This record gives sequence, C-alpha cells and structure tokens, in this order.
Amino acid sequence: MGNKLKNQEHLIQTSSLTKKFGDFTAIDNLSLNIQKGEVYGLLGPNGAGKTTTIRLLCGLIKYSSGEAFLLGKKVPDSKIAPKIGYMPQETALYEGLSVKQNLEFYGEIFGLKKEKINERISELLKFIDLEKWKEQLVGNLSGGMKHRVSLACTLIHEPEILFLDEPTVGVDPELRVSFWDYFNNLKENGITILITTHYMDEAKHCDRIGFMKSGRLIAEGKPDEILKISSTTSLEDAFLKFSREEEL
Amino acid sequence: MNLSRTLAVTKRVFRDVKNDKRTIGLIFIAPIFAMFVFGLAFSGNVEDVTTIIVNHDQGFTLPNGVNLSLSNKIISNLNTSVMNLEFMDSEDAAVQKVTDGKAYAVIIFPENFTQTAYTSLNPTISSNSSNSGTAITIKDDESVVNIKNAILGNVADAVTTTMQNLGLNPPVKVNSDPVYGQNAQFIDFIVPGIMAFIVYLLTTLLTLLAFVGERTTGTLERLLSTPIQESEMVGGYAVAFGSIGTIQALLVLLVGILVFKITVLGNVFLAFAVVALLAIVSQALGILLSNLAKREGQAVQFVPFIILPVFLLSGVFWPIQAIPLWLRPLSYLVPPTYAVDACRSIFLKGWGLSKIWPDILALILFAALFLILATWSLKIRKD
Repeated sequence: MGNKLKNQEHLIQTSSLTKKFGDFTAIDNLSLNIQKGEVYGLLGPNGAGKTTTIRLLCGLIKYSSGEAFLLGKKVPDSKIAPKIGYMPQETALYEGLSVKQNLEFYGEIFGLKKEKINERISELLKFIDLEKWKEQLVGNLSGGMKHRVSLACTLIHEPEILFLDEPTVGVDPELRVSFWDYFNNLKENGITILITTHYMDEAKHCDRIGFMKSGRLIAEGKPDEILKISSTTSLEDAFLKFSREEEL
Repeated sequence: MNLSRTLAVTKRVFRDVKNDKRTIGLIFIAPIFAMFVFGLAFSGNVEDVTTIIVNHDQGFTLPNGVNLSLSNKIISNLNTSVMNLEFMDSEDAAVQKVTDGKAYAVIIFPENFTQTAYTSLNPTISSNSSNSGTAITIKDDESVVNIKNAILGNVADAVTTTMQNLGLNPPVKVNSDPVYGQNAQFIDFIVPGIMAFIVYLLTTLLTLLAFVGERTTGTLERLLSTPIQESEMVGGYAVAFGSIGTIQALLVLLVGILVFKITVLGNVFLAFAVVALLAIVSQALGILLSNLAKREGQAVQFVPFIILPVFLLSGVFWPIQAIPLWLRPLSYLVPPTYAVDACRSIFLKGWGLSKIWPDILALILFAALFLILATWSLKIRKD
C-alpha cells in the first residue's frame, strides 16, 4: 500500500476511509485516487456522505479508520492547510464586511504580504467580474454575487487543491454555466478540484465522477464510460441503475 | 500562536463593528445610557415625604420664667426637604391619613413632653403634673425601606441637634471618623459596579452573537480549514473585545466623573486594566456559550442566565455581605465579583496593585481558564 500512496501525481488519496458518528456510518471504506489537474465530481443524493468526505479531507473532523493523503501528506498535517481551498456549502462570508475586506481578511489569515493580497484581489475581482462591487458590504449583494465572492475567498492564496461543496446549489442557470467556466479555467492552471453536486447534468463537465450512496462509492469513471457501462443515456439513469444494483 | 493571524481576526472584528451602526450604538451609547439611568435613579435622595405632626406638648415654664417647648425646637430642626410637614390635632385622624396612603408618617409628641424631659434631667425640680413620658412616637408606613430610614434618621438627627443646642449632652455618644469613604454617596458605591457590569454584559452578549454568526454562516468552518489555530481565533477576539471593553469603561467613568461627580481616589488606568481583564473573561464565556446555541434566537435565550447570577451575586448593587451566607460562595465563582471589588477599592479607597492583587490574580486565573475552555470547545468539533 505504501508504494501506491507515494504516487506524487495523486494529489488526493484515500484508502478504506471510514467515518462513524456513533452507530451511524457516514463514510464507509471510501477509496479515492484523484490526479493533479483533475476535476473530480462526487455525486449522490443528500445524506450520501459527500460533505462529510470533504470535511474529513479538510481536517475539520477526524476519521474513524483508514487513511487520507493530500499532496502526499497524511491528513491531518499543518502543512496541508496553506495549499488547499475549501468552499463550504453556506456562503461563509462576513456580511458586515465589504467584498474587498472579506478577501483581505482571508489573505491575511494565509499570511500573504500586503502587496500580494492587493494583487490577488484585483485578479480575483476581475475573474468573478465584481470589480465594481468591491466596496459594497457583502450583506447587500445578491445570492449569486455572494457565491462568486465565496469562490474568490477560496482562491485568494492560490491553492493547489480546491474542495467545492455544492457550489452551484441555489445558483441560477446562467451563473452555473459561468461557474463551470471558472472551474475549467482553474483546471487549466493545474489546480485539482474535488466538487460535490447532486445536479447530475453538471457532472458531464467533470473529468471523472464518483457515485456515492450511504457513504459508499458505488461507481466511478469518466462520464462517457459510466454511460457505456450502465448502457444508459443519462447520468441520472446511470445513477439509479447502480443504486438499484447496490441494493440487490 | 501566530501574531499576525491573531491580529487579522482582531482587525476583522473591528471592521465588522465599524460597518454596523447598530453595533456601534450598542457598544458606545449603551454604557453612557446605562450610566445615566443608574446614576439618576440611585443618586437621588429621599424628598417630599408627607409627614404629620401631632403635638400634645404644652411647653413648660422654667424656674427662671422662660417658656420652653422642646417639641417645637425639635420640629424646627427637622429637615424640610426630606419631609413635607403638616400639623394636626387628632392622632386618629392623622393615622387615618397614613392608612389612606395620603401621608407616610405621623410624629406624636406626648403631653407634658417638655416638662417630663426637663425634670428628668433636673431631678431637683419637683413636678406635680402626670408623667406622660419622653418618647416621641412615630406611626409610619414602613413598606418602603428607604423612606422609613429617611424619616427615622431625620427625627433622630433633629433630636440630637436640639439637645446639643440646648447644651444638654447625652452621657454616651457615637462618633463616626471614617478611614475611607468620607462623604461617599451611594452613587460612588454604584459606579464601579455599573462599569464592570456593563462591560461584562455587553462583551458576553456581543461575542456570543458574533460567534453564533460564525457558526451559522459557515465562516467558522471555512476558517478552521485554513492555517489558523483555534487559539489564534480566540486570541483575536480577546484583543478586540478587551479593547472595546476598556473604551466602554472609559465612557462610563467619564459620565460618572463629569455628570455625577463621583469620587476617584486611585489610579484609573489600573481600573481600566481590571475591566480589560474582565472583558477577556467575558468574551471567552461568550464563545463557550455559543457552543450551546444553534441559532441567534437561541442565543438570546441565554440572556437571563448571563445577567441574573451576576446581577445578584457579584456585589454590583448591594455588598456581598448582604447576600445570604449560603449563597456567598457562589459570589466567588462569578468573575465580575472580583472586578467590582477591585474597581471599588481603587476609586473609593485609592488602593493600588499592592492591595488589589488578589482580585487581579483571580481575574487572570478566570481568563486563563475560560480562554483554554473556549479554545478547547472549538477543537472538540473535530471529533
């Protein structure tokens, strides 16, 4: 196992990762291998364990058994945090602070120099197209704008791995399209992305997807491979098929 | 612990406060408002108490031919700003007015009051009239303790003054020669208490709400995924609210000195240091309590538990000596007790560090304990 886990190209690796809350098994023997520059989508219904997986990988909760490695380092490790970006499901912004102040705060938390922070803020505001709104309090922004600011806060320190927990929930179709443009843009810059969603139609944008159900990975592969194996025409049907097979 | 990350949290809290006018109002107007309210309510003396005099004393003609009325002299020495005097002949009618709530007290001088008093002091003078006694009877409404004390005190003072004026010195006397607190009013006693109480209350409340916000909006989750340590978050909040608490103490003190002319004998900076320590304890308590609240609405339900024990036990409004003996150990478990005691000693007695160090030590221990607990409460989420 040691050999496999030393693979430097696999930025996110877990083996037999298990998390129990009391008697309830939230994550059951999860093994993931995600390569550098890959966009990996975790799909599944609510309560499948997608968010818990991300929280385990970000070191927010401890796992019960198994192993998890990020950038070749065993979780938890204080050297990991500066290199990952976590975008929670909630917007997770200080509504009483302006857009710029929110970005500044996270920049300071990551120990960036003042000039670097200013440089990143102008880059990111351009990226999310909110330059005109930088002095506005986040509390006054629309829901979609908040989502964009939340993404920018996650990117301030140029992380190598991005964890995006349902970034497109509650986002209008137009913005969802531009969000995927952002993600593809980030991927082109060599960033590895683990994204969760329960919108099956979004999954086609991912390099690989994994179906999760009741804490287990029930199928994994490239979107077209999955369709081929399941001999279905939509990922939705594919998921239902795998889900039914799992129950049998 | 990384200082720049800690101060980034502090700066963030300050910006949050600065951008929100309501919070600014709560932080800066509330202490001034509270000081005015408490100051005006507690600095006033008892005045305008309707009191009826029923005087049966006829006076007495001394052997040298001078006509003396001891009762009239005592009446003239009553403080009329405390009492509104009315005179009646019928004792029953007067008492009826107290019964009806139209007066607070009836002061009755018995028949032959002057004569009896005089003859008892000069036994050589024979008296052929009946002895009705020298007791001044007060029939009053004692349901309001402050008013009762004002009436009894006023009559006692008037009697003492009258006796002294007549050169009749009682054989036994009590002399008061204060070591501390000469001319101290109740307002001098209450200001240090208010100062500690306001800072404790507002700091605990603001941190509680801010931290419940961090939890519900997801910012805490996001922060804990960054390199920041839990202790740096707690430390950043402590610096922010320690500073805000000191500013609040300054405002309370300014109103106390400028408007209510309170006595400040000691070093105010020492008092500010005490209050800053209390603010640090309070913000850590706020963070701890935020563990128990899922929403801001639930946090508000904690308010009575934050206010009442401290209100009752910490000696803000009445001394710990006035608390029942079995409750007193609890007083020493609420941190504001030490801040109130320290500030009071600084202001009223002029005590310095050499005398108030036990209070400061207790506050430092509480601060250390609460900060560790608050940090720990953020860490246990990881299980």
